[in-house]
Amino acid sequence: MPVVKLPAACIFVHLSVGVMFMKVMFFAYIRDYTGTKETYYQHCQTLKELLEKLSDQYGEKFRAKIFQGENLGPEIIILVNGRHVEHLAGLATKLNEYDEISIFPVVAGG
Amino acid sequence: MFGWMGTILRVNLTDGTIKKEPLNKNDACLYLGGRGLGTKIMMDEVDPQVDPLSPENKLIFMTGPLTGTAAACPGRYEVISKAPLTGSIGASNSGGHFGPELKYAGYDGIIFEGKAEKPVYLSINNDEVSLKSAVSLWGKTVFETTDELLKATSEDARVTCIGPAGEKLVKFATVMNDKHRAAGRSGLGAVMGSKNLKAVVVRGTKSIQVANPEEFIKACWDARRKLKAHPVTGTGLGAYGTEILVNILNQSGALPTRNWQESSFEHADETSGETLAAKYLVRNKGCFGCSIGCGRVTRIPDGPFKGFGEGPEYEAGWSLGADCGVRDLAAICKANFICNELGFDPITMGSTIACAMEMYEKGILAKEELGRDLNFGDAEGIVEFTRLTGLREGFGDKMAEGSFRLASMYGHPELSMTVKKQEMPAYDGRGVQGMGLEYATSNRGGCHVRGYLTSPEILGIPQKLDPLVTTDKAMWLKIFQDLTAVVDSANICLFSTFAIGLPEISSMLRTALGWDCTDEEILKIGERIWNLEKLFNLKAGFTKADDRLPDRLLKEQVKKGPAKGKVVELDVMLTEYYALRGWDTEGIPTDEKLKELSL
Repeated sequence: MPVVKLPAACIFVHLSVGVMFMKVMFFAYIRDYTGTKETYYQHCQTLKELLEKLSDQYGEKFRAKIFQGENLGPEIIILVNGRHVEHLAGLATKLNEYDEISIFPVVAGG
Repeated sequence: MFGWMGTILRVNLTDGTIKKEPLNKNDACLYLGGRGLGTKIMMDEVDPQVDPLSPENKLIFMTGPLTGTAAACPGRYEVISKAPLTGSIGASNSGGHFGPELKYAGYDGIIFEGKAEKPVYLSINNDEVSLKSAVSLWGKTVFETTDELLKATSEDARVTCIGPAGEKLVKFATVMNDKHRAAGRSGLGAVMGSKNLKAVVVRGTKSIQVANPEEFIKACWDARRKLKAHPVTGTGLGAYGTEILVNILNQSGALPTRNWQESSFEHADETSGETLAAKYLVRNKGCFGCSIGCGRVTRIPDGPFKGFGEGPEYEAGWSLGADCGVRDLAAICKANFICNELGFDPITMGSTIACAMEMYEKGILAKEELGRDLNFGDAEGIVEFTRLTGLREGFGDKMAEGSFRLASMYGHPELSMTVKKQEMPAYDGRGVQGMGLEYATSNRGGCHVRGYLTSPEILGIPQKLDPLVTTDKAMWLKIFQDLTAVVDSANICLFSTFAIGLPEISSMLRTALGWDCTDEEILKIGERIWNLEKLFNLKAGFTKADDRLPDRLLKEQVKKGPAKGKVVELDVMLTEYYALRGWDTEGIPTDEKLKELSL
C-alpha cells in the first residue's frame, strides 16, 4: 500500500462539508526528498501556490529542484491530470479539486 | 584508413571458405558503417524478395567508425539481414563488448553467406579465423554457450551467439552477445539459426587509428562531459534504468495496457524502475566505454520466480507487464531472464502473449488448446508461455510465429498490435501522435528506436512538443529518423543523444575520419540510409498499405485520461511526411530525391 500522509494544510478540510482534495504524486528521486510516493492536499488555486506549499513542507532540496528563480526548474516535469504544464499555463495553471498532479525529475529511456 | 579497420570478413558457410576483403572506401564514405553499410551490402548482394530463412539470405555483423574508440558510448555493433518476422530489411544493434573486440581483431564486419551442413561457430583471434564444429553446443542456452566458448578460447574473448530459440527458428529470436546484450528485434537470431551458425567468438589486440587524435580526444571529452552533466545520462538512467519510463508514460495516458485496449495501467508503479531499484536491483552496468550505466543486474531472491540476470528494459517490462495486465515484477523479470537465456525478443514475446490473452478472453482461443487458462494478469502464464515459446513446445510453437501470424491463424489479425508484422512497443500513439507516425513509417516495422519522438513529446528533450497534436511531427520525425541512422551507423549508443546532438556526433566523426564536411552533410548520410532501406523494402514488395497502424489505434478512441477521445491522426501526418521526404503520394522516393542522395 502506498504511504499516504495528510499534511498540516489538510486540517482545514472539513470532511463533513465536502473534501477539497488534490492528489500529488512523486516519482524517481523526488521521492527521496518527500519521503512518500503521494500525498493528498488541500485545494490550491494555482500550480505555483501548490508548489510553494510543497516546498515549504519538503524543504530546500525539493524547492531547488522545483524552482529556478521565479520559474519552473529545467530538471523537472510536472503533469496536471496527465498534461505537461507547458501545454497548460505553466506555474499559472489553475487547479481544481480532484486534480492529479504528478512531479517527475527529467527522465528518459527507451 | 582512419576510424575503420579496413577489412571485412566474408564467410561462406556452405563451402567453408573465409576471405578477407578490403572495406569499400567509397561505400564507407556514403553509408558510414553499421546499419548503413550493412544495408548497402544487402542491397548489392541479396535479392530483396529472398526467403529470410533460406541460404540465399545473408547475415551481416557490422561495426561503425566510432565503435571501440574513445567516443561517447561506442560499444555498439549492428546485425543486418532480411528479417524473418517482417520480411523487411532487418537491422538491430547491440552494446556490450563484442563490437569493439571485433574491431580490435582487425575487422569492420563479417558477411555470412550460405548455410553450414552441420552447426559451426566462427573463431577469430586477430588474424587467425576459422570455422569450428558447434555440434556439441547445439541446444545449449546463451549462457551455457558463452561460458563454454570462453573456456575453450580465452576469458578475454567476446562471444555472440544464439540460444535454442534461434536454432528453432523462433520468428523473433535474437542474436545475443556478452550473455545479456541483444540485437533484439525482427528475428535476426533465426537467420543465424537457419545457417547453422551457433556463435562467433572473437579476441583482438589491435588498435584503432584516428585521423586527428588531439582533436578527436577534445571532441570525445566535450561529448562525455555533456553526458555526465545531463540529468538523464548523468543520473537518472544509471539509477533507475529505462524502466523509469513506466510511470511517466502511465501518467501521460500513453502506456498501452491489456493488448492496447486501455492506455493506462492501474498497477504501473509496481512494475516501475523505482520499484525495480528498490526490490531487485543488484547493481547497474554499462557497456564498453559507457558512462551512463543503464543496464540492470537483477536478482529475484526467492519465490516461484527466483532467478538472476539482467533487465528488464522498459519495453520488455511493459510488454510482459502492463500489456499483459501483469503487476508481479518478479514474474516479469523471470520471463525476461528466460528470453535472454533462450535468446528471443521479450517485446514481441509479451505482446504475443497479450494478443493471446485477448483472444482467450474473447473466446477465440480455447483452454483445451492452450492447456490452461490465459487471462490478463496471469503472472504464471507469462513465465510459462515465454519458456514454451523459446523452446517451441506446446502452444508456444504457435506463439513463436509472433502475434500477427498467431492472430491470423484464428482469423483475427486485427488483434495483433503490429506494423509490418512487428509488435509496437510501449508508447500509445493515440496519446503520443508522433510515435504513431514513427511506428507506421519505420523501415523495420513497429519500433520505437527509429526516431524516438517520445523524447520531445513526453520527456521534453531537446524541447517540449505537445503529444496530442500532429503539427510539425512529420518534420521532427524526419530529422530524428535521419539522425538515428547516423548514430546506428557510427555505432554509438542512441541514449547518448539525450545529452548530445548532431554537432557533437559530427565533431567526433570528422576528427576520427579526417573528414572535412558540415554537420548537414553528415545528416544527409542518415537520409541516404533511410531511403536505401525504403528502396530495399519496396523491392521486397512493401507498399503504402504497409505504412499503416492497427485499426485499434486508428478507430478505437482512448477511453480515459489526457488522451481521452483520441485516435492516431495518421493520414494527415503521413501525407506531410511523404512530401517532406521527397517521396510521391504512394511513399516512393522520387527520381530527384534519389539523385540528390546519390542512390
